[in-house]
Amino acid sequence: MKLEENAFEEFERCAKCGMCLAQCPVYQEILLEKASPRGKIQLAKFYKEGRVDLSERARDIFGQCLLCGACATVCPSGMKANEIVIRMREEIARERGLDERAARLVSSIVESHNISEEDNVERGDWREDLKDLPSHGYEKERAEVAYFVGCVASFFPMVQRIPQNMTRILDRAQVDFALLGGEEWCCGFPLLAAGAPEKIRHMSRHNLEAVKSLGAEKVVFSCPSCYRTWKEHYDTQMELCHTSEYIHELIRSERLPLKPLDPVRVAYHDSCDLGRHGGIYDAPRKIIQSIPGVTLVELEHNRAGSLCCGGGGNLEMAAPELAGKLAKAKIEEIQQSGADVVVTACQQCVRTMATSARRQKLDLKVMDITELVVNALKD
Amino acid sequence: MLERKIQDELRAIVGGDGFFVDPEDLASYSYDAFVREFMPDAAILPRSTEEVSRIMKVAYREGIKVVARGAGTNLSGNAVARQGGIIMSFTRMNRIVEIDIRNRCAVVQPGVVNLALQKEVKKRGFFYPPDPASMAVCTIGGNVALNAGGPRAVKYGVTRDYVMSLEVVLANGEIIRTGGKTVKNVSGYDLTRLIVGSEGTLGIVTEATLRLIPLPQATKTLLALFSSVEEVAETVSAIVSAGIVPTTLDLMDRVIIDVIRDVGGASFPPNAAALLLIEVDGDEDSVDKQGQRVAAFCRERGAVQIDAAETQEEADRLWQARRSVGGAIYKVTPSLIVEDAVVPVSELPRIIRRIGELSKKYNLKVGVLAHAGDGNLHPDIMTDVRNEEEMERVEKFIHEMYEEVIALGGTLSGEHGIGIGKEKYMGLEFSERALDLMRGIKKIFDPKNILNPGSFL
Repeated sequence: MKLEENAFEEFERCAKCGMCLAQCPVYQEILLEKASPRGKIQLAKFYKEGRVDLSERARDIFGQCLLCGACATVCPSGMKANEIVIRMREEIARERGLDERAARLVSSIVESHNISEEDNVERGDWREDLKDLPSHGYEKERAEVAYFVGCVASFFPMVQRIPQNMTRILDRAQVDFALLGGEEWCCGFPLLAAGAPEKIRHMSRHNLEAVKSLGAEKVVFSCPSCYRTWKEHYDTQMELCHTSEYIHELIRSERLPLKPLDPVRVAYHDSCDLGRHGGIYDAPRKIIQSIPGVTLVELEHNRAGSLCCGGGGNLEMAAPELAGKLAKAKIEEIQQSGADVVVTACQQCVRTMATSARRQKLDLKVMDITELVVNALKD
Repeated sequence: MLERKIQDELRAIVGGDGFFVDPEDLASYSYDAFVREFMPDAAILPRSTEEVSRIMKVAYREGIKVVARGAGTNLSGNAVARQGGIIMSFTRMNRIVEIDIRNRCAVVQPGVVNLALQKEVKKRGFFYPPDPASMAVCTIGGNVALNAGGPRAVKYGVTRDYVMSLEVVLANGEIIRTGGKTVKNVSGYDLTRLIVGSEGTLGIVTEATLRLIPLPQATKTLLALFSSVEEVAETVSAIVSAGIVPTTLDLMDRVIIDVIRDVGGASFPPNAAALLLIEVDGDEDSVDKQGQRVAAFCRERGAVQIDAAETQEEADRLWQARRSVGGAIYKVTPSLIVEDAVVPVSELPRIIRRIGELSKKYNLKVGVLAHAGDGNLHPDIMTDVRNEEEMERVEKFIHEMYEEVIALGGTLSGEHGIGIGKEKYMGLEFSERALDLMRGIKKIFDPKNILNPGSFL
């Protein structure tokens, strides 16, 4: 996708009013105007006007973005700086090629079909820890529901609990579901953030075929970014839903009986891709509130105003130290809320927040929504 | 371009992560929220008064121009390097040094964000009233430099009324302090007041001591709808002369209402030709009484509907939408020029009529937004700076509007400053002798003319 003429026209719509500065976690940390959404729009405009080249410096500047979209929620003229950043990353990748780390990520996705340069047949290894694993290992020939696990939850031991818990939940609700196993390929989301969107079709075609062959009409995602990528970039009529929506539906239709938990204060963290980009704010909150004994606590920045955990936009790859600081800021906000536990509905957020809490030697429990639900499942 | 040797000297003062000369890094210091842009030769981000002083010593010795910049939300080109030179950005000098409850004041560095200070003092039951629309972003340094106001000025005045003391780095790097923590102070000339609003042309503010007042117990927001702007203007004039002092009396015409109707979840009634956004504050009991009195005034003068915000969230949404006007207008126009005229409140109906006539005469789309309670109007001229023919009409419109403003006993700027946007109209308001005095003052402070040169003097 070439930078469109009208995309450039769009730059003129930035009033330079600066409202975005207050919302941008990256700017608030760095406090340099170039790191702000307004500053990045200006740099894009300068490029359009031929006043700057797409240098490595420019790559660094556009790299310093979580793509979290918080700026867009307050922009009075409706600019989406996060989308401009993506287009500029694409432009830079086209002009200068991908940088080393991004190139490695992209080739891992295209060749190994996952983000971790692992053999893709190991995608289902997390099942080894499951008690009562059925002989088919959930890789069935036909099923009503396909459960799309995503790379991070498949390969990172820290968050493999998520699919382990989700399969328990689905079993308990007697859902006829299947996994794609080694036939699940990376959804392609990291390609977009890296500036290599043209390769996404390769992934989407395969994944769509794999799901179709199950005869499934519904695909459930525990990863909000996979969910978003399918919604925005996959050409399909299938019903797509996030685990939080699906679990909420199962609870509501009384297919998932829950027991009370010991009194606990739970803060809910809205992940960028599920909240701001997916518009799902209520389902996870309703799940939390439907468990007796659990009190929902709101963070100071919540819903559309939520602070990114620092794990978005491939920032961890481009600027790990900065990403670490943003994660720390997120943890501070959670601690100020007085919650005992923070629950989110995104494996990336779980990983980022849990890592940061551990590094700071804090006794903060970080959970995915599926873990909270499993804890409350009636025996 | 700065010589290599000087670049190295400046870099050594602040470190490599606070000094920039490459175009990719400087693009974002080429603008403020006004329409004209200028590329600086460098940007520098000091972290202490001492660093500012050292930077100024180098700049003075070499005759390098320096423009101080806060968050760059200012609206008259007051923080752009019109003649090149260095942008000195204060965003990293953002520490609240002290909140001194016993003397009811706060000592802050210039990069402290206005709203951050408001929130911090609120925790202790205190209130810092100046509330520019950009308060979530704009800095105290910028507020001081431009003597920023905001809707609450009707009752609480502007930044100037809260500045007790300043630490200022002079053009040659010397550091002076003006005023103090005392309520009273008539020693010598009032240098504090001279620096406030001087737009970075006299010195660089590196610390400000700000007066705090007790936080009002309660606030109430009302929205009154009228069938014409003139009715609103008459109502405001009547409220003020009846001795009622609401916190805010903000007027919007239909053009403005249409722009922000649904911004951020606000909901302004669909058929309003003009409206008045009113806030009252005080004790729990008094806000209801004040609200009723103001509502009665509005009703008597033709208000077709009066709503009270039911919850604080609803009130916040209305105000946030109001604060978003400047940006939201860009949805419907390529460029916006926000004017900042002030007239005595009694002349409000007249100037609003005149603005209507002039926008017809010059065939311009102009929205009217006003902090009506203090006579401060922000005619929002929706234009396209690339359209030369239209810009000529815009110039004529502005010129004739200010002729009228001055004739009515008003002034060129209430809270945005003169900058590079309105320098040419200074002659309308000031005699040559008065301007000469200002130039003389500038010369004493800044003999080499390196501080924000080319801005208004």
